[in-house]
Amino acid sequence: MPQQKPVSPTVSKAASGAAAFEPDVIVVGSGAGGGMAAYVLTLAGIKTLVLEAGRAYDPQAETPMLNWNHDAPLRGNSTPDKHFGYYDATVNGGWEVPGEPYTCAPGSTFKWWRSRMVGGRTNHWGRHVPRFGPYDFKPRSRDGLGMDWPISYADLAPYYDRTELLVGVSGTNEGLENHPDSSPGILHPPARPRIPELAIKAGATALGIPRVPACQAGVFQPIAHPDAPRQACYYASPCGRGCSIGAAFQSTTSLLPMAMATGKLRLVSDAMVARVILDKSGKARGVEYFDKAGRSHLATARAVVLAASACDTARILLNSRDGGLANSSGQLGRNLMDTTGTNVTAHIPALEGRPRYNEDGMSVAHLYIPWWLYKEQAAGKLDFPRGYHYELGGRFGMPGAALPLSGREDGYGASLKDDARRYYGAQISLTVRGEMIPNADSYCELDPAVKDKFGLPVLRFHWRWSQHEIRQIAHGIKTARAIAERLGGTVLTPEMPPEDAIAVGGWIIHELGTARMGAKASDSVTDDFGRTWDVDNLVITDGSVFPAAAHKNPTLTLMALAWRSMDRLADRLRKGEV
Amino acid sequence: MTAISRRDTLAWMAAAAASPYLAGQAQGAPNAAIAGASPWRDMVLTPLKARGYGKDAKLTEPSVPWPLPLRPPRRGQWRPAAGLILPADGRSPSADSLPIDAFIDEWISAPYPQQREDRVTVLSGLAWLDAESRRRAGKDFTQVDDATRRAIFDAIAWKDRIAPDYAKPAQFFARLRALMLGGFYSLPEGMADIGYLGNTPIAGDYPGPTDEALAHLNLGLARIGIKPVSAG
Repeated sequence: MPQQKPVSPTVSKAASGAAAFEPDVIVVGSGAGGGMAAYVLTLAGIKTLVLEAGRAYDPQAETPMLNWNHDAPLRGNSTPDKHFGYYDATVNGGWEVPGEPYTCAPGSTFKWWRSRMVGGRTNHWGRHVPRFGPYDFKPRSRDGLGMDWPISYADLAPYYDRTELLVGVSGTNEGLENHPDSSPGILHPPARPRIPELAIKAGATALGIPRVPACQAGVFQPIAHPDAPRQACYYASPCGRGCSIGAAFQSTTSLLPMAMATGKLRLVSDAMVARVILDKSGKARGVEYFDKAGRSHLATARAVVLAASACDTARILLNSRDGGLANSSGQLGRNLMDTTGTNVTAHIPALEGRPRYNEDGMSVAHLYIPWWLYKEQAAGKLDFPRGYHYELGGRFGMPGAALPLSGREDGYGASLKDDARRYYGAQISLTVRGEMIPNADSYCELDPAVKDKFGLPVLRFHWRWSQHEIRQIAHGIKTARAIAERLGGTVLTPEMPPEDAIAVGGWIIHELGTARMGAKASDSVTDDFGRTWDVDNLVITDGSVFPAAAHKNPTLTLMALAWRSMDRLADRLRKGEV
Repeated sequence: MTAISRRDTLAWMAAAAASPYLAGQAQGAPNAAIAGASPWRDMVLTPLKARGYGKDAKLTEPSVPWPLPLRPPRRGQWRPAAGLILPADGRSPSADSLPIDAFIDEWISAPYPQQREDRVTVLSGLAWLDAESRRRAGKDFTQVDDATRRAIFDAIAWKDRIAPDYAKPAQFFARLRALMLGGFYSLPEGMADIGYLGNTPIAGDYPGPTDEALAHLNLGLARIGIKPVSAG
């Protein structure tokens, strides 16, 4: 039986910033999963300590709301310091975090986006929030691949409603197959589509492909919550910068302030959790974490909730004992998934020289194309089992260092200025986002040699797309090209084999599956409430518990699931079961 | 700190001195009749030691932390280029009346991989413009008249009119043009010209496209046999 590593002798509870506060529950992470856990627990009256690896972050003071690209270095262009551009709300992170490396096994490529700030990646996320549908919870039952969830859509439906009400979601109920409607009165009205989106709609319609308003996590009518007031979206300032007015949803302007207002929350930033500490009976006693100066601390509580993100949660558990804590199934770190992705960009002559108007709108597309070929798939007419959707792009964006003119600018002089005026806003893009099926070759483990600045072993990634994903991407590219060409457009994205066109693992920043939930302890890490089978008072509320991914962006489901799991934990705490 | 070390400049000059166009210049005999373009040379530049803005810059008060090492004479070299590439017209001023030179200096001095690559391209290209100007008119690019400058640009600026000898200078020109377009149209004057109307708060619902914008789209769709769309 593998033994837990001894607590390092420097661990001192007295030295901990959390010493004066005796929590019932420790939550590791403050993003979508951790913020939701803190919110649900504190509103249930449970004293909660949130440990966040990143620094404190104040969206009211720090968000560059209406700043111009010309005020930023390099006109706001992306750099290795800020991969998504100067104004992106990612602190001390991106594809690399200083002092916290990760590695890839030979032959594997995986990219891991992290953020070291309170609120985590919710400060900058895409905020496209489709619900999973009934099929998405039972994929194995439908096509024999991957794994079913231990719950069904009906189990999560009430939590989707609650989460959408809290988050604020715009969209419409369309009654589409496997795209569930929200309960009446929940959705904010969608924003009117813009010209490039209407153009794609027209091209898609001509090919018999449906399209509907996209669902964005943000409020379009103000919410006058006393502790987390949120103003209505004013249709400017990209959501990726964060949102100081609280319109775009992020943990730091809603979940955490509401939790803080209960008086039951203590949040410690710059607290990098190293591992879960067990007591003699095998229950979680607390966690060991490092502060910014590298000093070790122990925090204890009746229960521990991990919401550090799929890969960091796996890492904490792998570092907690030899062979990994809560790993009797052997599934810890396995089944790592991302969303598949590729992009088709095209120049559309019908959009050249079009009349100007303010086309900022919402950051996400106002229309998207949900997966529409379920029946063809079920009838065996497609050579890939799982679907994808398109997120639509193209607009008169704020000019930056690179002005997108479809490569049609030529020469110099007066005609060049005319080129700029004519081709600006004439590009569209169809971004494919598809479902990956977990496979045995995609997982993370501890690197046997490399350690981070805290002396902790880092993750080593293994990655392989299967033909399911490759063929799906091929279909997505082919169909996107057909839409662009039906519009009389010229596709600008070079033609290449789908193996090369598919984004590398991790690139879509939807890591999931490394501690999957299931119906049996033998093939999963947690039960359907995120409780680890091996450690009764250890619960996971991030993307690691997803047994299957769907093609739909995971954060709404992640939060709904976290709410459900925390309701259960709160109930068990009240009953004295934990 | 200088962008190009004296040693590298001397090395480059020594190499250039051996070329036919400088022989022509040395005799005071500008000779456009000499066949072919001036040779292209990638400059060997001193690595920049400056640091970037880091991963936790203050976003609400942006600043450029790296030095801008190009002295005014060097910057001055691309002012006439900027004026020719994006001249004044009824909708916006000329690029050489706006701080485009400062933007390009900021860009090519930045300690990031893309910018380092552009630094070699742009500085090598400016040196090539001087060499080509001397070959054609016996003087540096800043000293020759606009007719000579236009003749040089005509050899490198138009995609389907580039002679094989001018392939490398044409790549430089395309990159310089892209930087000037980005630098120009992201300034307030450029945004006004191109018609960017966003980054301004809207109270109430997003209004969506104007009737005129929708009519323009439907006209375009009709031409390719696609049914019109409505704004809803």
